[in-house]
Amino acid sequence: MRFEPVLLKNLGVPGSTALETYRRSGGYEGAQRALKMSPEEVVELVKRANLRGRGGAGFPAGLKWSFLPKDRKVTYLCVNADESEPPTFCNRVLIENDPHMLLEGILIAGYATRATVAYIYIRGEFMEQFHILQRAVDEAYAAGYFGRNILGSGYDLECYIHRGAGAYICGEETGLIESLEGKRGWPRIKPPFPAVEGLFRQPTVVNNVETLACLPHILTRGLDWWLSLGTANSKGTKLYCISGPVNRPGCYEAPLGITCRELIYSPDFGGGMRGGRKVKAVFPGGLSMGVLRGDVFPKPPPGVVDPQQDFDELDCVLDFDDVRRYDLLGLGTAAAVVIPDDADIRDVLLNVARFYAHESCGQCTQCREGTAWMYKIARRIRQGAGRLVDLDILVETTRSMGMIPGLSICGLPDGAAWPIRTLVQKFRREFEERIAAQTPDAPVRHIRRTNPAAYPLPIFEGRAVHPPGGTFATPIDLAVEHGPTSGGVPVPGARSGARSK
Amino acid sequence: MPRIVIDGRTIDCREGIPVLQAALEAGLDVPHYCYHPGLSVVASCRLCLMELKVPDPRTGQLVWAPKLFPSCQTQVRDGMEVRFQSEAVRANQQRVLEYYLLNHPLDCPVCDKAGECYLQDYVEAYGPATSRMVEEKTKNPKKDIGPHTLLYQDRCVLCSRCVRFCDEIAGTGELRVVNRGSQAEIDVFPGQPLENPLQGNVVDLCPVGALLDKGFLFRQRVWLLRSARSVSPADSRGQTIWIDYNEEGIQRIRPRYNERVNEWWISDEARFGWKYIYRPDRLRTPLVRDGAALKPARWEELPALLRARFAGAPDTRVAAVLSPMMSCEEAWLLAAFIRQVAPRALLVCGHVPVVGEDQVFPRGFVIKAEKCPNRRGIETILQSVGPPTTEFQVFLGQAVEGAFDAAYVVGGYAEAWVTPSAAQALAKIPFLVVHDLFPSALDNSVSVQIPGATWAEREGTFMNCDGLIQPFERAIPPLEGIKPDGQFFAELAGRRGLFHAGQVRQEMATVMPSFAEVFVPREVPPHAH
Repeated sequence: MRFEPVLLKNLGVPGSTALETYRRSGGYEGAQRALKMSPEEVVELVKRANLRGRGGAGFPAGLKWSFLPKDRKVTYLCVNADESEPPTFCNRVLIENDPHMLLEGILIAGYATRATVAYIYIRGEFMEQFHILQRAVDEAYAAGYFGRNILGSGYDLECYIHRGAGAYICGEETGLIESLEGKRGWPRIKPPFPAVEGLFRQPTVVNNVETLACLPHILTRGLDWWLSLGTANSKGTKLYCISGPVNRPGCYEAPLGITCRELIYSPDFGGGMRGGRKVKAVFPGGLSMGVLRGDVFPKPPPGVVDPQQDFDELDCVLDFDDVRRYDLLGLGTAAAVVIPDDADIRDVLLNVARFYAHESCGQCTQCREGTAWMYKIARRIRQGAGRLVDLDILVETTRSMGMIPGLSICGLPDGAAWPIRTLVQKFRREFEERIAAQTPDAPVRHIRRTNPAAYPLPIFEGRAVHPPGGTFATPIDLAVEHGPTSGGVPVPGARSGARSK
Repeated sequence: MPRIVIDGRTIDCREGIPVLQAALEAGLDVPHYCYHPGLSVVASCRLCLMELKVPDPRTGQLVWAPKLFPSCQTQVRDGMEVRFQSEAVRANQQRVLEYYLLNHPLDCPVCDKAGECYLQDYVEAYGPATSRMVEEKTKNPKKDIGPHTLLYQDRCVLCSRCVRFCDEIAGTGELRVVNRGSQAEIDVFPGQPLENPLQGNVVDLCPVGALLDKGFLFRQRVWLLRSARSVSPADSRGQTIWIDYNEEGIQRIRPRYNERVNEWWISDEARFGWKYIYRPDRLRTPLVRDGAALKPARWEELPALLRARFAGAPDTRVAAVLSPMMSCEEAWLLAAFIRQVAPRALLVCGHVPVVGEDQVFPRGFVIKAEKCPNRRGIETILQSVGPPTTEFQVFLGQAVEGAFDAAYVVGGYAEAWVTPSAAQALAKIPFLVVHDLFPSALDNSVSVQIPGATWAEREGTFMNCDGLIQPFERAIPPLEGIKPDGQFFAELAGRRGLFHAGQVRQEMATVMPSFAEVFVPREVPPHAH
């Protein structure tokens, strides 16, 4: 049963980017309803809708709005259109095809947060999309949806578009704010949080494009409709992207809660793998959230979800919560990229590591040096000179960075650590096989190119978790084996040997 | 005063400071790079992370939070409990230091910073014992970023202290971080080198050997240096400094923390203002005029000669010019001698060099236009000793009229100070004693030329423009042949034994109570900044 699109309802409609087309299908009605309520009522509505942020973190939008200080004079609404998470393109589809849905969402959110100015931060690479969006903003101004005394409500909102210049880190909330202010996009230390001191040191809210695009529909179709879609704690409709060697790569809309297997194989979405391949791995939420094992692995016994064992994980429900059982950081942008069974897992690792090393802003030591080191190791592994201990080093490095353990200023290193760690851990068998298939002295010869005095020390070689010819081995608990620091930075307050996720 | 607990130890600390600063002031060594008490907090090096007790959201009980907090970013709060001695903190320190070493060049044998390098010290104390880095290191260039400073980029740890200094303290913002991630470097814009009057401080701020002073490059190993607590004579602010020296002489000058005057910084004038000590034309022997020529004399002969000549003249026709480059004790002793032999002699505060205007920097650092350290001290002493006293220009006006038979003129300036009109006026004085560092236009008319010592070769106190009396120690022995001024004046004034500034001050304090106490800045533990 195909889901009737809501966010993508104007996709394919001729002239869909024009205001007239948008209005004809009920556009800006949501905004009109919102303007008749009080701002606090709109915030309350969005809170009860449990609209969770669609930009990657899944933070409830209504709750974020409620952090704004009550006595504020100026409020800024920043729209995060810097979509840079590989392989996400759902915001792009929205902006290209239905920019007014976004603008209506901006109007509603601006009204709810009593914003005085809305800044749309669009990534610099979206050149055509910028022009489409700017034309839409101009149309909206002309029709009185932006500017002074919007629709006679007494509410004023200015809206400007600011173009980025090619940095993933400017999609981070405070990185975006710094870039808007004209500075290097280095994320700020928190506290103070943007709700209190954000853009130009004023209270600021940063929301994702898709999150805002949901607002008109919550208002027009009502809370009950919204709450009827999705799962227990993940309500509403979501844009899922899928790319890779599937038959129908693209952006599809569904209520939150489809499984990964449906996203890849259902004729409504990915339509199955090209050439009848099987899935080796899939990153269901964008690279940063981590990887799931595909159906080259056997299905688990019913009811068993154990990311430490080599089972097919495609039954993972793609909402904000079930993903965590599979050792994913979260749902992220729900943009899936599929790795086919004939791909070399080392290529995947290299691609992932290279992205984060390139995009790290360079402020925090762990991220700056750690991502670069992981990239160099991944490159050497791909060049056929990897060692088993490199896999351990990669895992340990991923456990020594991130905002969640308090080790970094922003979430980029968490996003770097998760896919690399899950790749190395979930596909350890393949990595070990590839390393075992190298010529035995390849690592030493490779390393001798830079350090002619290097020689291999057995004690530093690392141990195979999956010895060739054996069965599933119990994974080694490195923290117990080699001491606390060999497993990365442990969770403070926990006892020795406890591993941090 | 907030009371916090660090590693089980209760500490009373100042209000409004971060936990890191409180720990450092209590003598704990917490490794850190980007934090500096004089600069804004960026919390980017992630080396100072600590564990903090927070209320459990469910039970309200205080438990160790499951994440680390930057101690430089967390302000002290009464009752706070933190710890640095824990597995998680130690593991993070090890990892971060390992990350710093990944691309750091093995330059210790040729790096100026060795011996006072934060990276060396922290890695030894908190870092990994082995290296696991087998990849190619990222190589960065060596850059010439200004007339005084080099940047060896491959050693840089991107703590951004230098960038923040140029933005916040100097206000000029020449240094920037360019590029992104592991390719990030510090650099200047083309055509805009690092050239502001405080730029030398970035070399001190740099925790590793990335920013280097061209004058000190490869000059001396720091563990072969001794340090003297001194006060810079560069301007009237009295910036306190360390003079680093060894048997070969002075090697460099660094700031000495001073909470009342210059905090952690010194001007370039103060930092580089010691080269003149080693000018080849320093006066070295006392000379006494014999006819047309000046003949060398022995130091021992001088007191009797001067006593006789100054006592022999009518006392109202005797004058002494006390240079604002002299210390308070020296000025006191010379004034005592002159008034002893000529009770109504005219005492003059010497020439006060003024260059331009006071320069005030954004966070309050000031470079004074008055380029001498002790004008206020001289004036205070003259006031205490009593009239007749006057200013230098008035004195010159009287001298050119032939008002004086004998005068003792003290110079001691780093630059030439005798103008043609001053030379002309002083030439009218039949018995002219000049106590100075370098030859000048007075050489033709001088009767007795006495070689002076620079401040680094003397001890005493300077009174700064705000009335603060700050002591300075001798760093190097006076150059061969020179008797330090204080010793000579003490002998002139009839004192026996070695000159000791503290004893002279005690004497001064009986008539000038402000000299009973001197201002010594608070000592900070090494690596506290």
